[in-house]
Amino acid sequence: MSTDNVDLARDRAKVALRSLGLVALAGVIATVWLGLFVTPPDEFMGNLVRLLYVHPPMAWVAFLAFGVASLASVLYLWPRTRAEHFDRMAGASAEVGLVFTGLTLVSGSIWGRPTWGAWWVWDPLLTTTALLFVLYLGYLALRRVPGEFHVRARRSAIAALIAFVDVPVVYFSVEWWRSLHQAPTVLNPTTHKTYVHGSMAWTLLLGFVSFTLVYIWLVAHRYRLAKLHDLEDSEGLEAALVERRAEASVG
Amino acid sequence: MNGYVEAGYIVILGSLSTYAAALTARERAARLRLGQLAKPAAPKPELELAVSPSVGDTVQNSADAPGNETEQKGPEAAS
Repeated sequence: MSTDNVDLARDRAKVALRSLGLVALAGVIATVWLGLFVTPPDEFMGNLVRLLYVHPPMAWVAFLAFGVASLASVLYLWPRTRAEHFDRMAGASAEVGLVFTGLTLVSGSIWGRPTWGAWWVWDPLLTTTALLFVLYLGYLALRRVPGEFHVRARRSAIAALIAFVDVPVVYFSVEWWRSLHQAPTVLNPTTHKTYVHGSMAWTLLLGFVSFTLVYIWLVAHRYRLAKLHDLEDSEGLEAALVERRAEASVG
Repeated sequence: MNGYVEAGYIVILGSLSTYAAALTARERAARLRLGQLAKPAAPKPELELAVSPSVGDTVQNSADAPGNETEQKGPEAAS
């Protein structure tokens, strides 16, 4: 590919990412407006239902992010598809997923205080979600442990797959154990019914789509940042080698 | 509405905005360190073309130039 084509592709990617960011922002603004001012209060929860237009999308994006991180880790571990960009993608997606998991816990806690009368309860869903947060925090810490690139990437990929085991446990915890947390309302796995309708359902759906777009935008930026850091590291190493060779030739 | 709803929205939107701003700032700083943003603008090719094919170059360097032909054939025509 010629330099002109590379520049053209880079410009197009930049425009696409900027457009994606604007669409995601518009979607989030629309979700907030519909969630706070248009949709009616719930029969039982009153205005607190408005928090549920943003809390489940946070959890969904966290699951999606960890799923992508796991898939990228598998592709890195598989010898035929092993490539540096899969390791970068796993790291980027896990970091964004960690942010969304944190927001899931905080928004759930804010909802739980007036609903259950406590900021935190050791409910199976909450506990396994907190465990998920700690597992991926550990994964990101492991990624920062110095070492040769492929050794570090391989151990990080294995850690990502171990951490992902907790994701289905979180999702099915409301089914497996007696839980204070309500069962899924959009698609209930037991009754196979939907318990949200009308403008409430559309607002929730818009929330899912908008925050998924936000996730894609954030991961794209985090991936680019990781790539730039790798480039900086390789340039720094090259400069150090040149300096060392110069010292050796003088000596 | 009660304060909990507003607090929830502020926490979520505030955190995501802060994270997004931090990412873009770090990306910009990394690009600056690598010199990707500090590159001087490349000169436009139109400007080079406008200057390079000067009349003097054609006359001095090309034997086939119409001006040279006239100059070389001039004395023969005169004799």
